[in-house]
Amino acid sequence: MVPLENYLVLSGIIFSLGVYGVLARRNAVLVLMSIELMLNAVSLNFVAFAAYLDPDLITGVIVAIFVIAVAAAEVGLALAIVIRLFRNRSTANVDEAATLRW
Amino acid sequence: MGFDEAQGYVLLTTLALPLVVAATLLFVPGSQKMAVRYLSAINASLLLGLSIYVFLAYQAGGDPIQMELRWAWIENVGFLQENGISLHLGVDGISALMTLLTGIVAFAGTLVAWKLEYRTKDFFILMWILIAGVYGTFFALDLFFFFFFYELAVVPLYLLIGIWGSTRKEYGAMKLTLMLVGGSVGIWIGIFAVVHEAGLGTFDLPTLWAAGESGVFSPNFQKAIFPFFAIGCGVLAGLWPLHTWSPDGHMSAPTSVSMVHAGVLMKLGAFGIIRLGIQILPDGAEFWMPALLVLGTVGALYGAIAALTQRDFKLISGYSSVSHMGFVLIGLATLNEIGMTGAVLQMFSHGVMTALVFLLIGALYDQAHTRDLSDFGGIAKVMPLWVVAYVVAGLANVGLPGLSGFTAEFHIFVGAFRTYPIFGGLAILAAAIAAAYMLRMFGVVFFGPLKPRWRDLKDISPIEAIAASLLIVSMLAMGLWWAPFTDRLAPTILNLPGVTS
Amino acid sequence: MGAEEAWILAAVPAITFLVLAATGRYLPRQGDFIGILAAGAIFVLFFVVLADFLDLGEAAWPIVNNIAWTEIGEFELRMGILVDPITIVMLAVITTVAFMVNVFSVGYMKGEPRYWWYFAMLQLFVASMLLLVVADNLLLLYISWELVGLSSFVLIGHYWERRSAVEAAKKAFITTRVGDVGLLIGIILLWEATGTFNILEIIEAVEAGAVGEVRLFVTMMFIFLGAMGKSAQVPFHVWLPDAMEGPTPVSALIHAATMVVAGVYLVARLLPVFEVAEGALLVVTFVGLITALFSGVVAFAQTDIKKVLAYSTISQLGFMFVALGTGLVGVGMFHLFTHAFFKALLFLGAGSVIIGSHHHQEMGQLGGLWRKMPITAMTFLIGSLALAGLFPLAGFWSKDEILHAVDSHRGAWAYVLISVAAIMTAFYTTRLFIRTFLGQPQDAEIHSHTRETGPIMTLPLVFLAILSIIAGLVVFNGVGDAIGFPGGFPEFVFLHEPERFHVDWGLVGFSSALFVIGTFGAAWIYWRGRLDRATAAARWQPQLSEMVQRKFYFDDLYQFAIDRGVLGLSYLVSWFDRFAVNDTGVDGSANMTRYAGFVLKHVQTGRVPNYAMAIAVGVVALTLITLAVRN
Repeated sequence: MVPLENYLVLSGIIFSLGVYGVLARRNAVLVLMSIELMLNAVSLNFVAFAAYLDPDLITGVIVAIFVIAVAAAEVGLALAIVIRLFRNRSTANVDEAATLRW
Repeated sequence: MGFDEAQGYVLLTTLALPLVVAATLLFVPGSQKMAVRYLSAINASLLLGLSIYVFLAYQAGGDPIQMELRWAWIENVGFLQENGISLHLGVDGISALMTLLTGIVAFAGTLVAWKLEYRTKDFFILMWILIAGVYGTFFALDLFFFFFFYELAVVPLYLLIGIWGSTRKEYGAMKLTLMLVGGSVGIWIGIFAVVHEAGLGTFDLPTLWAAGESGVFSPNFQKAIFPFFAIGCGVLAGLWPLHTWSPDGHMSAPTSVSMVHAGVLMKLGAFGIIRLGIQILPDGAEFWMPALLVLGTVGALYGAIAALTQRDFKLISGYSSVSHMGFVLIGLATLNEIGMTGAVLQMFSHGVMTALVFLLIGALYDQAHTRDLSDFGGIAKVMPLWVVAYVVAGLANVGLPGLSGFTAEFHIFVGAFRTYPIFGGLAILAAAIAAAYMLRMFGVVFFGPLKPRWRDLKDISPIEAIAASLLIVSMLAMGLWWAPFTDRLAPTILNLPGVTS
Repeated sequence: MGAEEAWILAAVPAITFLVLAATGRYLPRQGDFIGILAAGAIFVLFFVVLADFLDLGEAAWPIVNNIAWTEIGEFELRMGILVDPITIVMLAVITTVAFMVNVFSVGYMKGEPRYWWYFAMLQLFVASMLLLVVADNLLLLYISWELVGLSSFVLIGHYWERRSAVEAAKKAFITTRVGDVGLLIGIILLWEATGTFNILEIIEAVEAGAVGEVRLFVTMMFIFLGAMGKSAQVPFHVWLPDAMEGPTPVSALIHAATMVVAGVYLVARLLPVFEVAEGALLVVTFVGLITALFSGVVAFAQTDIKKVLAYSTISQLGFMFVALGTGLVGVGMFHLFTHAFFKALLFLGAGSVIIGSHHHQEMGQLGGLWRKMPITAMTFLIGSLALAGLFPLAGFWSKDEILHAVDSHRGAWAYVLISVAAIMTAFYTTRLFIRTFLGQPQDAEIHSHTRETGPIMTLPLVFLAILSIIAGLVVFNGVGDAIGFPGGFPEFVFLHEPERFHVDWGLVGFSSALFVIGTFGAAWIYWRGRLDRATAAARWQPQLSEMVQRKFYFDDLYQFAIDRGVLGLSYLVSWFDRFAVNDTGVDGSANMTRYAGFVLKHVQTGRVPNYAMAIAVGVVALTLITLAVRN
């Protein structure tokens, strides 16, 4: 078997890529994709732990299934907001949606 | 019901009546101004009667606290134990005199507000809530309700000044409210500290006093917490240097509000220092009194000197109030019987006197629409009664024997000389300076040749005259017959912890 | 009614005041007859009190009578009266002069505004003054002292439509107030030391040694400050000349005979205490001497007849203090007694001149009134001679007594100075008389319209003139015995031992010489209205002349000190309060809060990526902290 750390490092890298995307991307859809990356990385992390440390109860796999469901719902809602934003502002640039300020 | 219990209900009535009237006024249509006025006048007369009764019925030789009433409210919940929070009312000699003061000034203030046209109903509702708060503070023997009524007395001021005021009213109202509420924060911290430290889970004052006497508050605790009370209440009392809300506040406030505010509310501050500071934390008081003495003396001199060159009537009066409250603080700081008697007498005397002064200033301003001294000259020719009333008030301010000012100031001076002769001398000097600013104003405004602009000024109206007469009679009463006042104060003051003879 | 009810003498005018103040305006003749009735009543009642007093005999003196008033702390305050020989002298002076002034005022104040109020205030004044002299304790004395000051203030400012009158009243009140601060401090200090306000008890305690030397000296200096203020001693004298703005009868009553002698009375009353305080009497003498000389000189240069009399009064008060400073209370009181009569006479005479000449009081506009106003002139002459000290008029005897006392109790230096002051008195008095009544009229227009005044004004003048002639004779024990007293004045009013009066002919000669020098000196300069000698002298020493004319710049100095010093301080304090305490302190802290908000609001950029970054950084930070703390 491949050592657990491999999976953890992989999920860490994917998570970091996701964080970078969230913070640095200008397009709202790309930010959402990065959030999906983060979620998937987290699921990967949970499944890896479940497979290696808890093979009988596989609690982590159950969490990953929850994450997938929640992610789907969240993306639906988020994309709806992005579309609304786009229709009002003709742009999906997150830097431009800054009117709720001082 | 025994007589003593019945008397407790007198206090409850005095407290509840303004609240009931305020509630009733809610249902009176705002357009029915005369109904509002008459209802308020009747209320004011009843309150005056009740206040006089409370004062006279207080037995000079009896227990220090009389007319007690207690309704238990919250007990044995959380940290509260037996007698946690209860509506505990009662008067001692000091609060009996203050009650009388409130009744008199509230009555005068109501009469003066007679000609208010703008939103009369709202004005009186707020006034009565304020007055109820004042009575409540004087009667309260439970810290929770003390604070509750204290706030009730302060908060309506924001609206009263902000809506019905004059010069820079929003600024004056805002500053006054923020500073006073800021002081209240100090008081609240102090209250909580005391209740927590006593460990009895009660807000009841007599219980806490007894606990204090049995030594549950360590000297260090007392020294640390007393400033919270002193400064918190001191802001309201016009303690230097936290006094600056007073000149601006008075300048902006409408006449009745100025009367009640300078007349009664500022005394709440000094009263708080006694009730909370001296009675609960006597060792702390003893430690901090020299500081209060210095601040009081500075205030007394500072106010008097500043008043010499003011151009606005109300500012002269405002600074004069700072000066006189300085005298009160000096009297309190002596911690001896004579000085403290003088302080309480001064609270009454100044209250009545300042109410009269603001009444008269308001009467002039309503006609002249200016309060600048240099605009006037020789108005004694056209407003003789007004001038006579102002001269009487001025002479009381100066401390002329025969009027209440002398009675109070004399006690303060004698008391001050006992313990701090130099400050006593400075206090007398401040009183002498009072003569200077008063007479200067008289000379510029009342006497000399009449400026043609004022030829058509009318003298005070009959309603204002009634209010003024009541105030003048009060000043004469305390000026000529000392005994009824000092007799009632003596047992209470001697009973205060830490007060020497 | 007897000596124990002497307070009734104060009660009568007090009630009259209330009646007149409330109803005077509506009564026929505005109630002036009520005023006269009251004044006449107390004049008569005085004799009743006197008779009873003499009847009770020396052993019973002083008569006391008091009631419990209130409690100050544990101290029971009793208020009451004290009647002793000093009181009797004061009562005599007050009731007599008050009566004359009330009568005179009917003529003088005819047609003046607020006629009824004037009479009402006169009554209040008399009531307060009478209360002052019968008070048995310092607190009651202080209360009446203040009331006296109040009545004086109101009366000086009677013509308040005039700015100068208002200023004068204010000046009087404030100057005496400064002195009163001292008096109150002194009273409280005495109470602290002896435990009582009662005068007799205080004297007893002090004589028994209850108070330390230094402390007693300081205390008595404070008390003397009050006396200096009320009695217009240098440097508190500035209010008295200005007080001439008031109606002339007021000047006669208050500023010559009664109120200004309250300070003298106070010192006389407490003289036993002054004696015990080492050096106190020396201070009193000094102040008296300086005042006597100073105002005598200033009187030379005054041209307003009332102002001359005002400075003369200040000077004579100085004489009284010099007398008291020797410890001989009888001598001081004697001069107070005689001075009251002839000074009141002179002031009323001046009032007569003012009315007769239709409101002129400058010597430069008068002159030669002898023929036009014979009665006034004659009585004024008698008053002047009494003041200057002609044998055997009243002023001669009292001045003689002072010279004698100073000689035997003080020393040569004081004797010389007081003699100089006596010469000056004679000088300025003669100058006044000559320039007003003799010589050529300075203004023909005014002179032609001048008439003698009516009997309502001249009769009081005559009465006072008679008193000015004979009042001094009570110094003889034969005269005293004849009218029922235990002897002459010095045997009636004394501190330790009665002293029988003997005529010292050497002294008589000396003081007559002083009189002659002063009078003839003035006559030589001013006779026949020849001012050339006087103006020549002024031109010879212009700065000196200027200084005297400007009253040694006292008024200017005070005005400067007040304008720059006091008012300057006031502006400073107001400025400080507005800018430092309020704008910087209060508003400043409020503005700080607003500024903090203004700066901090920039955190709310509204940009989601910023918030996301904040979350990320926060999580990392928390994780690191947790890991660090765990270890």
